[in-house]
Amino acid sequence: MKITRSLVAAVTVGTLTLASCGGTKSESENTGVTDDTIKLGVLTDLSGPFLELSEAILAGNEIWVEQVNASGGVCGRDVELVVRDHGYDADAGVVAYQELESQVLGFMHVLGSPINAALDQNYLDNETTTVALSWSSFILKNPYIIVPGTTFDVEMINGLSYLMEQGQIKPGDTIGHIYLEGEYGENGLLGAEYFAAQHDLTIEKVKVLPTDSDLRNAVTGLKGSNVAAIAMTTTPAQTLNVAVVNQQLGLDVPIVGNNPAFGPNILTPETADALRNVYVVASATPYTSDVPKAQEVADLFEARGDGVPHAGVPYGYAIGEIWGQLLEGTCDDLTREGVKKAKDEADSLDTEDLVAELDFSSPGSPATRAVYVAVPNIDTPGGLDQQGELFVSEDAETYRAPEQQD
Amino acid sequence: MSTFMQLTINGAGSGAVFALLALGFVIIYRASGAVNFAHGSLVLVAGYITVRAQESMGITVAAILGVLGAGVLAVIIERVLVARTRGGDPIALVLLTIGVDVVIVEEVARRLGSSAPFVRVPWANEVIHVGQITVLKGQIVALCFGLVIIAVLFALFRFTGWGLAMRAQAEHREAAALMGVRNTQVTAAAWLIAGVLAGIAVLFLATPDFAGGGVSRATHSLVLVAFPAAIIGGLDSTNGAVIGGFIVGLTGAYSQQYVSFEFARVAVYLVMLAVLVVRPSGLFGTKEVQRV
Amino acid sequence: MALALPLYVSEVWLRVFEYAMVGAVAAIGLTLLSGHCGQLSLGTPFFMLVGGTAYAALAADAEAGSDLVGIGLPPVIAIVGAVVVSSLAGLAFAPVAGRVSGIYLAVATLSLVFLGLYLGQRFTEFTGGAATGRPAPPFTIFGFSLTTREPELTVLGVPFGAQERMWYLFLILVIGGIFLALGAVRSRPGRSWRAVRDNPASAAAMGVNVARARATAFAVSAGYAGLAGVMMVLWFGLLKADENEFQGSWSIAAAISLLAIVIIGGLGSVWGAVLGAAFVFGLPLALRLLVPSVPLLASITEGSGGFTPSVITAFAYGSLIVLVVIFEPGGLAAIGRRITARFGR
Repeated sequence: MKITRSLVAAVTVGTLTLASCGGTKSESENTGVTDDTIKLGVLTDLSGPFLELSEAILAGNEIWVEQVNASGGVCGRDVELVVRDHGYDADAGVVAYQELESQVLGFMHVLGSPINAALDQNYLDNETTTVALSWSSFILKNPYIIVPGTTFDVEMINGLSYLMEQGQIKPGDTIGHIYLEGEYGENGLLGAEYFAAQHDLTIEKVKVLPTDSDLRNAVTGLKGSNVAAIAMTTTPAQTLNVAVVNQQLGLDVPIVGNNPAFGPNILTPETADALRNVYVVASATPYTSDVPKAQEVADLFEARGDGVPHAGVPYGYAIGEIWGQLLEGTCDDLTREGVKKAKDEADSLDTEDLVAELDFSSPGSPATRAVYVAVPNIDTPGGLDQQGELFVSEDAETYRAPEQQD
Repeated sequence: MSTFMQLTINGAGSGAVFALLALGFVIIYRASGAVNFAHGSLVLVAGYITVRAQESMGITVAAILGVLGAGVLAVIIERVLVARTRGGDPIALVLLTIGVDVVIVEEVARRLGSSAPFVRVPWANEVIHVGQITVLKGQIVALCFGLVIIAVLFALFRFTGWGLAMRAQAEHREAAALMGVRNTQVTAAAWLIAGVLAGIAVLFLATPDFAGGGVSRATHSLVLVAFPAAIIGGLDSTNGAVIGGFIVGLTGAYSQQYVSFEFARVAVYLVMLAVLVVRPSGLFGTKEVQRV
Repeated sequence: MALALPLYVSEVWLRVFEYAMVGAVAAIGLTLLSGHCGQLSLGTPFFMLVGGTAYAALAADAEAGSDLVGIGLPPVIAIVGAVVVSSLAGLAFAPVAGRVSGIYLAVATLSLVFLGLYLGQRFTEFTGGAATGRPAPPFTIFGFSLTTREPELTVLGVPFGAQERMWYLFLILVIGGIFLALGAVRSRPGRSWRAVRDNPASAAAMGVNVARARATAFAVSAGYAGLAGVMMVLWFGLLKADENEFQGSWSIAAAISLLAIVIIGGLGSVWGAVLGAAFVFGLPLALRLLVPSVPLLASITEGSGGFTPSVITAFAYGSLIVLVVIFEPGGLAAIGRRITARFGR
């Protein structure tokens, strides 16, 4: 009791003395722009499960920043990245956002769907335009969010179209779809269901958690339903497990996976054979690509001499390009409002084919619907061989995304 | 029908691996009266040593090193930390092993970074087809290992002085000590065996066909599934551990296919709760006697 | 000091302190249960989820075209409702807690975390699901919001935004929680809890209803957890089910860090729980903020295999648990008592 009483006394005295000095804190008007620099935030995972991807994308961002600053910067100013690590923890992400928000004009990228979900309201409140690296079409509802590329639903539609064009699936077939609980999986499923409705396919759904590492029973069930193909909106480890079991059980059907369902680290000498049946769909080029700009970025990346080749590198560079062009479009009004306006007006942003031409002007609609299809190859740096050019299937064109306005 | 058969084989196969893990819990519980929450980190350390050594020394030597490494680590944990806990209060021991687990897992995960290398065991990705049914070689080997280990343990308990001491100690620690049983050696030996079991288990866990992921944080998570196995069987029953392992494996397989993956995860724990409500010390566990 | 802090400390540091306060409230409940009634529980995050969900469902307005359940009660009543609902959930677990004890109970409560994961993802009309979650209804009294910046307010030249206001709300909740807990410890239920902890058989012989004592301890602890869950939801501005059982606000990781708080603080000590929470919940966030400005920290944290703030915190609290169990089972609270005793003389 003695402690509490003295505590109360201390609190009261403390309040009075401090209050008499008056406040020292005040709201900053700084939006991350000075006469010679533009600051952009990066919130990413440099210590958690997506370390590999995050480092690659960040490297791409940095290569772009170095290049653009060397050639005079954007709007006559140098671009500066302020990077914070959230380790894929939403609580750490929220605090890091709060710290950066008062220092930056916008966010070069914020990686991770739980973090973007937690920050959704903050983007609106603070008017911070953000490149959100969680490619679900659900988050397009937020006008301050940029999804640089296509979304999981459209990826899946294109992926299944590709299999149909190749004659690997046909109307009337049953397709297994293994998808993760949460935004990523649900969005992929939306695409698969749309495609199935157009082509008289049956979808056998298996919802799993990221920590379900042994999917033998799922594949056993799908074999029982005689599926013609398996769609995967999962983690790379799960894709690998399904590919291996697919082969072991003698099912041997093609597997089509969303972009995050593959990571180069699942590709090892003992797994390469099982993964030959996997088709990865993404709106960005693989690390090793025929696209000249991708080759240029890869050369710059190798010149830096650290890091593992990963499709995230050209993609990170493309994100830099997007920001560069948005900023160039609003040089006379470098405010958050100005950036938002530039974004809303951008209807044909070009990243020299690193990503397809991007249109941010129609609210709620994915910025592009074009994808690359790639297959794992252990001898290729980055682990993926590009199959043909960018393409959009007819179904992907006509598909209406859940938040689409027009 | 063949789906059901295949599920049964799948479930029993993973059950065999869970049984190996559950046995580790049981042996330590009998010796120290503690539930070893650090068992997962022993598995992880063994896996880490194995994958680091397999490149240069080949899998056989690497696996032996991993198994021994986990065994030695277990003994160190017992000698340096567990033995010093005053009074050997079971709750304090649980907390202690949680602390140890947090540190070890974090360190191994830090060293691994984003890599998740597989153990290159000869039975990985090998299958045997029996009619329409596919059986994993690894799971058969795990089952054989489990049976051999149980037989060996049974023989040890039954026919050696150590076994007698161990049984005496599991019955009543102080009384056993008074009658001249050297608690120290008995306990240390039990931890060594549990560590060795953890090291063997990882050779089945960190393969592309069992987990998809190699040695990583996820390997540690898998061990958590063996918890219900040990509890369902009864923490002080070796036979219970094996049966618990199969119950967990089969519950998982059937509920994943016939209900959902989401439910399967909780189903295992619901089975455990149900068992506990009916038999508070598990199916084959000795009932705790309440002393005034 | 605490009252004037928002005048001087930046919003981002207020957030860190607020997060520690969330941990403190949950840990106070846990320390009553584990320290005084002797029931080790890993189920706290489940009751937090129940409380947070109840608050969101009770306080939110029903919206047309939305599947989300919203009753539209005033937020003050919704908080009380959330505490009641989570206490009832605690009571519902009492039959298990009454039969199972010791280590078996600890593992049995672990199943609650799995149950929470399943229910959270299954009943998205309440929780908003793991994908997007649902927004947290702001906490308002007479139209004045304590968790958002509406209406605007400036105190002594300092604009009082969401964080400044939430600071006071949380401070009231924490202090209220501390005093209630101190009261409970000294009162009759507290004594019966300790009798049950020390020896259930002799407690029963002395006329204590063992089952009832255990059930009340569970209910009280769940009530605290429920309040902490509400605070967590307000802190995030969002209620969201976890994506998996290992990571997230209602996960096994949360269960273990809450247990770490009460052990490091000293099992049974209310003030120890508060200190422990500042350490276990506050440190990782504080370190992350310090890393960019302290070059030494930055150099060891960066890159693959770096000692990131979460690694450092895990090392620190893992080894602290070990040290406390071996050398100072009374935890920080006992160390504090010894220091005050020495200087008090």
